[in-house]
Formats: sequence, structure tokens, C-alpha cells
Amino acid sequence: MIKVSISFLISVAIATGLLITQTTFTNIIWLSSMDMPVDVSVILSMLAGDLISMNIKGEFPVGALVLVGMLIAFVVTRILLIWVNIDKRYLYALAGGAAIFAIVGLMPLAFYNLDLIAGARTLFGKGYLIFTGMIAGYYFGARQTEGSSNESH
Amino acid sequence: MRVIKFLTLFSGVLALIPMASAEVQYKTETIVEGLDHPWSMAFISNSQMLVTELSGNLRLVTDGELSPTPIEGVPEVLFAGQGGLSEVLLHPNFEENRFVYLSFSAPDAEEPTLNRLNVIRARLDGETLVEHKTIFQSDPPRKTAAHYGARLAFMADGRLLVTSGDGFNYREQAQDLDNHFGKILRINDDGSTPMDNPFVNTPGALPEIWSYGHRNLQGLVIRGDGTVFEHEHGPKGGDELNIIEPGKNYGWPAITYGIDYSGAIISPFTEQPGMEQPIKYWVPSIALSGMALYEADMFPSWKGNLFISAMKPGDLRRLELDGGNVVNEEILFSELGRIRNVITAPDGSLILATDGAEGKIIRVYADNQGS
Repeated sequence: MIKVSISFLISVAIATGLLITQTTFTNIIWLSSMDMPVDVSVILSMLAGDLISMNIKGEFPVGALVLVGMLIAFVVTRILLIWVNIDKRYLYALAGGAAIFAIVGLMPLAFYNLDLIAGARTLFGKGYLIFTGMIAGYYFGARQTEGSSNESH
Repeated sequence: MRVIKFLTLFSGVLALIPMASAEVQYKTETIVEGLDHPWSMAFISNSQMLVTELSGNLRLVTDGELSPTPIEGVPEVLFAGQGGLSEVLLHPNFEENRFVYLSFSAPDAEEPTLNRLNVIRARLDGETLVEHKTIFQSDPPRKTAAHYGARLAFMADGRLLVTSGDGFNYREQAQDLDNHFGKILRINDDGSTPMDNPFVNTPGALPEIWSYGHRNLQGLVIRGDGTVFEHEHGPKGGDELNIIEPGKNYGWPAITYGIDYSGAIISPFTEQPGMEQPIKYWVPSIALSGMALYEADMFPSWKGNLFISAMKPGDLRRLELDGGNVVNEEILFSELGRIRNVITAPDGSLILATDGAEGKIIRVYADNQGS
């Protein structure tokens, strides 16, 4: 149980970290295109700032949002795995993608199409973020597969 | 029930609350209740006032009594999010031509899932709007229902200023001149474009643009000397009061004193050559809404002050100006909650509109005046 919990928290951290850095770089790239004085120190301070600020200073803590989304998605996946015989890695990857899709694709529908996560304002951005959720889910699934393999030996 | 409502309304007159600003004694009275998200107000005579309800109705208030039937002939609006029937403004020659200007959000004619900010001109004939003419539509249309701006003001030369917000999702486009996101537009009273606008000869720029780099512009007043005061919502922090000059870039989102609602740093920069600074900004945000420049005689010591209504947590800000600088700020009426707008009545009293589905119109008048 502890191993599962740690794997889950790591997968949440992966998804959250990738989501936040994508938003940071979205802003950095645009600022650079506007000839604003973006240098390495600005990039590093924005990255560090966002990793903290998006979990503390925002209207909603991004990490908590991802945690809740993935918790629901992974619990549903765990139940599905009772009946469905698919490689855990792929099913959890789908679950991770679905969790992020709920955040960046469905949540705006409740807020008059406002994309509250700046990196998710484009189709490409949404796609990338869903992909990061899939990476996080794949990691979690892989850890579960390892666990199952060890148990069977 | 009607008797109770009548008594409730007029008990406001009896329940006068004497209060004091720094040096000014005043009282308040509730003159209208039960408005559905009142947004803008305009006096059409000493005793009659038009009030927009964001939900789509234009209401007439006569001698403090709300006409039960809305003004007819108001176009259908998109009432969603921050969208709906917004500003009502009278033509400078209203007494002769009876022209009324309305701003509102409405679905795009070709793609109804998208919407635009619209401005129409119509003639007020009795209690009906006739001879409608659309004089402005924001371009391109947007999918979001937020950040419309939608304030209007006539300049001394008869040109009309229109504020157009950044649409929330389209903030970067506030820095481009080929669209209406995050702009102040200057048009003639019939919607045509003045040929002395700053970007008329700029290739690729929309000729009606007067200034750019704005976010969600909610207050717009013009002083007698031609100074244009504008205020706009920042994101999380960074509400701004600006003095607008033609052709200038006000920086959003390249420079800002706020952060994104998600907590993300939109820009670490607060100033940049070629981008204008606000004359005042608020961190944290106070959710600026309307604005009035007090030039009447009822409160002599308030003459020349800016009054800004705010919705977070909800109050009225009195700003003393020294030319183009804010030298003092006083917070008033914090007990009223979210205040959506403030205007000056013909008699010099201040008129406040509270926000929400049960909005009120409140009159603020000098303690030595009759109600």
C-alpha cells in the first residue's frame, strides 16, 4: 500500500510538474517573441516561481487538482482491471490522460470556456498536457506491473 | 405584497443613514431595489434614468420609481458569464436627437457558438428604442464569455470611445493591432472611423484602434481638459488606473503587476520602454467596476475627484487627483458590498448601483440637502 501510494504521488508530481513547466514555457516563449528581456535567470526564476506559486498562490492549487483527478481516474481503472485484461501500463496511461483531459478540456466548459491554465488555451497545448497525464499514468501502471510481477514470483 | 414592497422602497427615504467622509457629511437612500445585475446608468432628464440589467433589459426609473415594463426594442443579448447588456450612454445632443448607445454581447451571426461585443445606436421614442444601427462589432469573435470591456464615453470632439476587453483566453492578442482584443477604439457617432486615429496609416492595423495593451477595461471617463481616465481589471492583482493617450501601448500582458488566476507568472516584468505605466495600481485586486469624475456642486470638496466602484470586497474609492497623479485614496461604503457602478446625478448627488441579482440603486447626497 505504501509503495502504491508513493507511486501515485510520484505520478501526480510528474503530471503536475510537466503541466506547470508547459505553462511557464508558453509564457516565456511569448515574452521572448515580444523582445522582452528574457534571459536564463528570468527563465529559472519563472520556473521556480510557477512551481511554487501555481500550488500556493492561485485560485486553485494545481497539484491538488491533478491529485484529485488522477485519484478518481486510477480508482476507476483499478476497478476496471478486475474485468478487463489489458496491460496495466496502457490502461493507467489512458486514465492519466483522461484525468488531465477533465481538467483542461472539461473544466473550462463550466467556466464559460475560460481556460484557467494558460498553457491549455490552444489545441496543441491541451494535447500536450493530456500526453503528460498519459506519461504519469504510464509510470504508475508500470510500477503496478512491477509489483504484480514480484508478487507472482 | 405590493404595499410591503412600496413601504420597503420608500422606507429607504426614512431610514437615512448619516455618514461622514474625511470632511463631508452625507446620507444615503435606496431609491430602487430588485434590479437584475444592474450594470450602467444614464440620466435622460433631471428625474428619469435609464438602467441596464446585464440579463438584457433596459429599465426606466422615474422619480425613484422603477417602471414595471422594460424599455422595448432592446436587442437580444448573450447573458452568460460576464456578458450581457452592458453600457447605456446618451449622445451628447440627446435632447435633440434622442440617440442612445448600448453595448452588449451577442452570438455571432454566422457562428452562434462564438460571440462578439456589439455597440448599437438607437433613438429613444417614448419607452421604445427605434431606428437601430449597429455601429461596432468586435473582431474576431470569441468563444469565451468574459472580459468584454464594453464601456463607452464621448470625447469633447464628439468621437465615441469603446473599450474592448481581451476576451480572457486571447490576452496576447492585446499586443497585436489586427484585432479588437484589449483595445480602446475611437469611432464617429455613426460608427465610421475618424481619419485622425493613430493607426489609420499603419499597415495591418485596424484603423479604429486608439490605444492597446489593455485587459478588461471597466471604467472610462473624460475630464473637461480632455484627459481620458480608464481603469481595468488586472488578473490576480494588478488592477490599473491609466491615463489614455492615442497610439500608446499599455503593456498587457507583457508587463503587469498581477499573476494569473492559476498562480502562474504571466510576466515577471512590470515596466518596459514603449509601454505605459498606470497612475495607480492595486495589489491585491479590488475588482474595479465603474468610474465617475465628480464635477458637480453638491459636494464642493469632492470636485475633481475620481470615484471608482469596486466589487472585491466591495466599496467605493474616492481618489484625489493632482493633475494626472493620484494623491489620496479614501474607501467609502464598504458596508454596501459589491458596487457595480457610480455616476453623478444632475443634482450633484452620487448614484451607486450594487451588483447581483437583487441589485439596488442608492443615492448619496449631502447631509444639508433634502432627499
